[in-house]
Amino acid sequence: MNRKVSIFAATLLFSSSMLLVSCSSSPDEAQMKQLNDLKDEHTALQKEQSSKEQQKAALDKEVAEKNAKLKKCNDDKQVVQQRLGK
Amino acid sequence: MNLKNALLVMLAVLLCVGFAVAQEKLTKEQWQQEVSKYTGMVDDLKAKVKTLNDQITSLQSQSSKLDGDYDKCMDELYALVGSDKDKAAAYRAEIETAENKANELMRLSDADLMARSSEVTDLATNVKGLWGDKLSLIPEFWDRLTALNDKVKSLQTTIAGAGKTYTVGTWKRDRDCLWNISKKKDIYNDPWKWPKIWQGNRDQIKDPDIIHTGQKLKIPTAGEMTKEEKSAARSYYSKKAAK
Repeated sequence: MNRKVSIFAATLLFSSSMLLVSCSSSPDEAQMKQLNDLKDEHTALQKEQSSKEQQKAALDKEVAEKNAKLKKCNDDKQVVQQRLGK
Repeated sequence: MNLKNALLVMLAVLLCVGFAVAQEKLTKEQWQQEVSKYTGMVDDLKAKVKTLNDQITSLQSQSSKLDGDYDKCMDELYALVGSDKDKAAAYRAEIETAENKANELMRLSDADLMARSSEVTDLATNVKGLWGDKLSLIPEFWDRLTALNDKVKSLQTTIAGAGKTYTVGTWKRDRDCLWNISKKKDIYNDPWKWPKIWQGNRDQIKDPDIIHTGQKLKIPTAGEMTKEEKSAARSYYSKKAAK
């Protein structure tokens, strides 16, 4: 009797543990691929953002330098006009 | 171990494995959360990259416009003095040649410079000619020519000083001694610089207290006394003090 109860209890425990493992639903392959693709896209976009920020900084500097050159040219024009007027 | 215990151990192991497998794999709920999180971040980054792209396009267009504006401004600047970009480039090259010449002459010793004094004269004429061009009114050229002028003047001063001589007169009439000669306005205007004349004429002045009427003394270029001149003066004064 005792032995029968033990076997029954063991079977019950085994079944319930299998049920626990199989019942916890997990994403399928396609869904995992979707998530991985999103992560890859995120990494690629981070790199692109960094590269664009560098490009923008270089252009900001270039535009500032050209503005300064243009300002100097306009200042020079005024100086020359004054010198010509003397 | 009886069968009951063996079965219990086996079940415990199976349960642990089951939980471990369940822990490693994402649940659907967790997957959904991850997908939402990454979708949000990707959308955010896409928006930032788009903004950056727009800013870059705008900056590139500004840069191109500035190039055009600058070229136009320079053309107008050259036109003000009746010139153009090509003539200005040629003029710039001429100034550079003159600058190189001046620098070369500045590096010469006084004696070498004296020997090449005609080149200084040519340089001065050249610089004068460059000033004659209206392009010199443009600050870029004006500033360079001003610096060039200073160099030419310095070279001319050196030559003038290097070739200067003084003929010693009589004590009775001129009161000529190295101290008094150095004090003269057209010499150094400073009696304390007499050691310069002494050191510049070591070949004919052994004792600085003795110079002779008719002696033709070379007058070294004005300026601060050199280390050698100061040392000679110290030596002279200490000998005097010892007597």
